[in-house]
Amino acid sequence: MTPAPARRRRRPILPQGSTAWLLAHEMRLTWRGTFARRGGSMRGLIILLVAVALFTAFAGVPLGLALRRFEAPISPFTILIADVALAGIASLMLSQTLSSAAEALYQRGDLDLLFSSPLAPRKTLTVRFLALALNVFLTVAMLISPVLAPVALIGHPAWLAVYPVLAATALASAALGLLIAMGLFAVIGPRRTRTIAQVMSALIGAGFFLASQAQSIMGGQRASGAWVRMKRLADDPNLRLPPLADWPLRAMLGEVVPLIALVGGATLLFFAVSTWLGGRFAADAQAASGADSAAAHRPGGRVKFVGSAFVAVVRKELRLIWRDAALISQVLLRLLYMLPLGFFLIRSAGAQDSIALPGGAGGLAFLAGQVSGSLAWIAISAEDAPDLLASAPTSSRVFRWAKLTAAFLPMALLLAPFLAVLAWFSPITGLAATAGCAAAAVSSGLINIWYQKLGKRSDFRRRRGSSWFATLAEAMNAGLIAVATGFLAAGSIWALVPAALALLMLAGLRRSDAQIAKLIRDAAISS
Amino acid sequence: MTDALVLRGLNKTFRAPAVNDLDLTVRSGELYALLGPNGAGKTTTLRMVAGLLKPDTGSISVFGVDALADPTASKRLVAWAPDEPMLYDRLTPLEYLEFVAGLWDVAPDIAETRAEGLLKTLGLWDERNRRCEGFSRGMKQKAALAGALIHDPKLLILDEPLTGLDAAVARQVKDLLQARVRDGATVILTTHILEVAERMADRIGIIQAGRLVAEGTLDELRARTGELGATLEDVFLDLTGERDEAAVS
Repeated sequence: MTPAPARRRRRPILPQGSTAWLLAHEMRLTWRGTFARRGGSMRGLIILLVAVALFTAFAGVPLGLALRRFEAPISPFTILIADVALAGIASLMLSQTLSSAAEALYQRGDLDLLFSSPLAPRKTLTVRFLALALNVFLTVAMLISPVLAPVALIGHPAWLAVYPVLAATALASAALGLLIAMGLFAVIGPRRTRTIAQVMSALIGAGFFLASQAQSIMGGQRASGAWVRMKRLADDPNLRLPPLADWPLRAMLGEVVPLIALVGGATLLFFAVSTWLGGRFAADAQAASGADSAAAHRPGGRVKFVGSAFVAVVRKELRLIWRDAALISQVLLRLLYMLPLGFFLIRSAGAQDSIALPGGAGGLAFLAGQVSGSLAWIAISAEDAPDLLASAPTSSRVFRWAKLTAAFLPMALLLAPFLAVLAWFSPITGLAATAGCAAAAVSSGLINIWYQKLGKRSDFRRRRGSSWFATLAEAMNAGLIAVATGFLAAGSIWALVPAALALLMLAGLRRSDAQIAKLIRDAAISS
Repeated sequence: MTDALVLRGLNKTFRAPAVNDLDLTVRSGELYALLGPNGAGKTTTLRMVAGLLKPDTGSISVFGVDALADPTASKRLVAWAPDEPMLYDRLTPLEYLEFVAGLWDVAPDIAETRAEGLLKTLGLWDERNRRCEGFSRGMKQKAALAGALIHDPKLLILDEPLTGLDAAVARQVKDLLQARVRDGATVILTTHILEVAERMADRIGIIQAGRLVAEGTLDELRARTGELGATLEDVFLDLTGERDEAAVS
């Protein structure tokens, strides 16, 4: 019998073990992960593509036609706009790359595989951060493309240079993120780096926003729009821009020398940092692994035993929330966004500003609902030992309310000072804001109970958010409560309308215990 | 004396029947090994006893308590320890035991004393304030076992408790289980390590395709197959009809 002809092996397009081959592998994993997080359905992708196409057709193309003959002037005003926009994008990119750089040190699994392979650690590091930079760049590029691409293609091909400028910014951010993460590792050690890096990442992410709101926080003259302030600054005859301040704008408009300088400088910085730190990265990752096994070893630490399932669950959840650096950074980021609003509200109350107060109280209630929703989502749906709870002689309702309590406590503690000061200056606004925050928090919690999706806590770091439907329902309900809070703070009877709508919405969303149990069972079977 | 566990006409079907009209009785104070090939329905059966799955039909009685009519009362008597430890990586063993004791409503002073005793017996006392995330598989298994024992269950159900453990840890776990049985507790365990069942179990039940195909002491099972000097492995392969498959492979 003649042997069957051997199937011809497909030759890999990229040489195995090369930087490009490894980068392709990283990108494949990242995009598959992103796609899976979004539900992984082809329908979702098609909806997204259709939305992008519609936005391009009805916003990007008309704008491109309108700007066809427009020549962007290089003036102090446009230079300021370009610099500020790029700084804002860079701060968001750095926030993302710092967070990912710190996490990369602690990820096991494929990192162990890569370090145990004959590949040089330097190559592993370079590729991992190149992939990070590429992902950050692609995210921003996808967001701006529906507008930028038609504008550039219709009348200003040179403006396509914005893409390489963004790529350079992403490369520089990845290098800086890596530098900061490994600097922290060297200075404060492996155990604290993860938490501090996540907190720093949140601060950097919100920093740009906070800086833009500085006037509102510090209580100077009434805050004006950033655009107006920049215009005012640009019109100031005494304004002296620093040297090369115009290079980002010139590079974005396609001038060759600034463009090459920016892209070249960022590429040089990236490869210098990854070459310099490549060997160290492997050693630090090993040290991080050791830190994991020695984590939080507190000799002589005491634990107070309690005899109640409710208290035991609350304490367990609070401990887990407190020890989850990534979760804390996400919540911190949202809280930082609340800060200007809180200060603005207190200032308005102090000045007895009857117009600003109701709106501010409503805004505070909305944000309280959002933050509580995040915590409730992780407390209720992220459960590492569901079988332990299910096998315990305690009702599932006790667990749910204990988990909700644990989710609300941090929020209540953080809001209490603001609400107390507000109530001191304006009792009605203070009471309305307190009621609104409580109502928004409880309704967000209930939605998260009704639409829970049980999973392991470690998976939630990657999943970050709940389902689209629950998120949307939470936001809409918090919005209605915010409007009701605003009317209530203004002493208007109209508060009843949005409050009733919010209640109706909750009644429509409600699921019985049996429905929730079925949801969890179905999810367990399908997984 | 009331039997520890009585299952009658138990059925559970997912896509195909997993447990098929199962009758099983485990006496109080015995160590019962439930054996069977992969997919025989062992874990499904035990999960129904632990209150984690509802049977389609049939009855479950734990020390005379109808587990389907009064699951809370039944759960008070039972501890369930699956092969994957039910732990929280970011809690220390002591915090974990405090949490589990709270779930079973154990008085704080009793729980604290028990926790100390269990952690010392299992060699985890020095690690009591270290988070479980850095633990080896054996340490995690021991911490989970301590959690299962913190409320002093009358019926301890363990699914593959010795999988992945090194010899020393496996010995510790076996000693602890035998000590529990001597103290009057009932233990049901599933295992693929037949030598463990052979040495430890008072009685052995063999389940296949969701039905109990044989039950008894090792000698009774040997007598049933007609091989008096046979090992449990021989008996198991004979009774499950897997001897031919084993010989081929």
